[in-house]
Amino acid sequence: MDSIAQRREEILAKKAKLAELKKQRELRRAEGSNRQSLSGSPAREILSPTPRRNDVEQRRDLDKYLDDILGDSRPSSVQPGSPAGGRATRPTSVISASQLSSDNEAQAGAGTHYQIPTSMVDQGIQTLSIGNLTTVYESEGVDVGPPPKRDTEVVTYSKGVQADIDWSPRKTRGSGESDSERDESPTRSPRTPKRMSRRQKERDEEIRLQLKKEIEEEIKAAQKAVDAGEVQKVSGENYPFKTLSNEELTAVENSNDFIDFVERSTKVLERALDQQLDYDILADYALGGASIDEEDEGYGSSGGKKGRRIREIAQFWDERWSKKRMISDLGFSTKFPELVLASYTKNPSAPHDPDGLIQVWNLHMHDRPEYIFHAQSDILTAKFSPFHPNLIIGGAYSGQVLLWDTRAKSSPVQKTPLTGSGHTHPVYSIDIVGTQNANNIISASTDGVVCGWTVDMLSQPQEFLELTSPPPAKTDDMAVTCIAFPQSDPTYFLAGTEEGSIYPCHRYDRAGAKAGVDGRVKYGGHAAPVMSLDFHPAKGQIDLGDLVLSSSVDWSVRLWKVRPPAATGPSNTSAPGAAQHVTSILDIAREDLVYDARWSPVKPSVFGLVDGAGSLEVWDLNVDVEIPVQKVTPSENKRGALSGGMGSMKRSLNKLSWEKNEGRRVAVAGMDGVVTVFEVGSDLGGVETKGEEWSGVKRLVGRLEGASEGVNGK
Amino acid sequence: MLQSDETLAHLTRISQKPGVQSTLILSRENGAIVRTSGLISNSTSANPNSTLPASNDTAPDNYANGKKEQSAEDVASKVWSFLTAAGSLVDGLYEEDEVKLLRLRTKKNELVIIPDTKFILVLVHDTPPA
Repeated sequence: MDSIAQRREEILAKKAKLAELKKQRELRRAEGSNRQSLSGSPAREILSPTPRRNDVEQRRDLDKYLDDILGDSRPSSVQPGSPAGGRATRPTSVISASQLSSDNEAQAGAGTHYQIPTSMVDQGIQTLSIGNLTTVYESEGVDVGPPPKRDTEVVTYSKGVQADIDWSPRKTRGSGESDSERDESPTRSPRTPKRMSRRQKERDEEIRLQLKKEIEEEIKAAQKAVDAGEVQKVSGENYPFKTLSNEELTAVENSNDFIDFVERSTKVLERALDQQLDYDILADYALGGASIDEEDEGYGSSGGKKGRRIREIAQFWDERWSKKRMISDLGFSTKFPELVLASYTKNPSAPHDPDGLIQVWNLHMHDRPEYIFHAQSDILTAKFSPFHPNLIIGGAYSGQVLLWDTRAKSSPVQKTPLTGSGHTHPVYSIDIVGTQNANNIISASTDGVVCGWTVDMLSQPQEFLELTSPPPAKTDDMAVTCIAFPQSDPTYFLAGTEEGSIYPCHRYDRAGAKAGVDGRVKYGGHAAPVMSLDFHPAKGQIDLGDLVLSSSVDWSVRLWKVRPPAATGPSNTSAPGAAQHVTSILDIAREDLVYDARWSPVKPSVFGLVDGAGSLEVWDLNVDVEIPVQKVTPSENKRGALSGGMGSMKRSLNKLSWEKNEGRRVAVAGMDGVVTVFEVGSDLGGVETKGEEWSGVKRLVGRLEGASEGVNGK
Repeated sequence: MLQSDETLAHLTRISQKPGVQSTLILSRENGAIVRTSGLISNSTSANPNSTLPASNDTAPDNYANGKKEQSAEDVASKVWSFLTAAGSLVDGLYEEDEVKLLRLRTKKNELVIIPDTKFILVLVHDTPPA
């Protein structure tokens, strides 16, 4: 407050000085007008018949001067005349302004009076601006706003003052008050300034400059003072910082604001810290330089040809949530390739925690999930909706289909009822098919029920289909373990069963085939439950969309060439009831149970599989159909791997998922609850594929087909 | 209560990450210190409950390096004025914009400041060796 008072004093002093200067000038002017009146023509000098030489000269000069000015800028030429009106009243008007108008008013005034100067060419813009400067700076002082830039301030200022104080009073007062200058001004023509003598003008100019300088200095000083005051004030308010009592502390910490804030900000912090570990943007390569290439051949990475390498890049495990849970499904987000979700079964030792759990991990945040979602029952399958990046769908052991939203809290935003028309058995397979604007959730439970749902309404299935085993089987029941849709046709799918056969199914009745299992074709070969089915993601030059990969716990992976649904029409049926038995075109025997096998989303010949021994194998059919290109095991850095206590079982890998956009990353997970993400070399992933890779697969399939048909023929 | 425990767990875990020297949460309304870790308080009235355990591996190092533990009040006021300056910078340059994150790298440390509507989170950690 001291500083403000001090400033005010300074301002007053300045004002006094200003007033003095004005007085001097007025005196001078009075002299000039005297001279004018002496010359005999009070009204118009131009008309005077015998102008003194001095006057003529003056006029010539004046004209020249005026021309210059008019060509240049109008306001400056206008100035000398107008100050007369403004100046005498200035001191009072300034005081009244500062007293009466609050900061807001002054600011508002500045805003509303913007246009006025243009209409009032005659007003003394410059002079007025000077007077007002002080007002503005005062308001700034009171305000805690940012230090204003000098240039802009002057501009705003002049406009505000002029309109506020001078214009209206003049109108009302008009001729009432007798100020010698003011009396004169109404009678003067707009060209009054012309009459000013050059000398006077020069003097005026000088004074003005001087004033300007002084005022600028004053402003600078004032600003300094303001700044100092601001700092003082701020530190005064916040230092020493207030100490919270215990009650206040708990109140703050239990407020939703605080919880939300911590939730958000700690995520940012973790990302910031993790990002730092990846790469230091301030790295100076001129220093040190002793760091060796970190492509070590240790655990979790693999040697071999460079393009075929696989490198472990992240492992996700959370002490609180991942413990004693098994991972039941994995999926990358299509919109945000750094996000990978994992669904978990229940933790038997924590009965109070929710049974079902989904954690969404971020490759840029290693120690903590981005999102956590809960469910009442173990979640057996889950995936990001490819059509809506915020939605996650899942299937539960209870038979429910659940929908979570990353914008909502951890509980599902929608779920199917436990009773009623949906599933009553565990849902192990779920998918979203269709297009961006028309898509359905398709879920399959182990009792053979397949339901179609709309994302908007999970209270009742849109479609209900019960799959039954075709005639040769001893019972009608069909235990579906997995379903898979081809890229091209959302009305047709394959269902893998526990007895090992794979059946084509139709969602709707069509010519010659009713909805449900198409009994005329059966893909037999697996001797144990089918664990996964995957259609080739046909996106290349050659359509390979009829290739299907299946994995089974009979220790094998099989490659199938699926008959197109149209070819299974009535013309094809030689003997009704006698199912056409189709065998796989390639049977790859492995050394352990194969839990999952998935095509690479970009490389036509590459697929990955995970097995019960805990290894990830990446195959390239163009390179070899008998041994994998790469085989790696996740490292055991994370504690979860050691805490299982289930012997070799703990290392088993259940699920595998490719990152969909680039195919560079593959996530695997299993019994120990650890998600491991690998990055594959350029031969096994990455968007650029060569044409020969596609044709290579085509040729291979043709060869294999011929061979298997030959076998069948015998 | 459970939620608040989780919140605390997040904070504790962050403050115990390797390399993290200290954390500080300020209230934006009155500048009160809500939580600290790795900082000492020079005010006797400070609430001991607001202090969280710091990361163990760095605490002895600090002394070995001759770094003194800083007082929370000190850090808080400096961060506050830094934030004010940054805020006025942003206000001056872009209207209707606000500061979301400040990362300040020094030779030895990095400050990460996350201002929010109601609170400010500050974290000081070692800069990885160049």
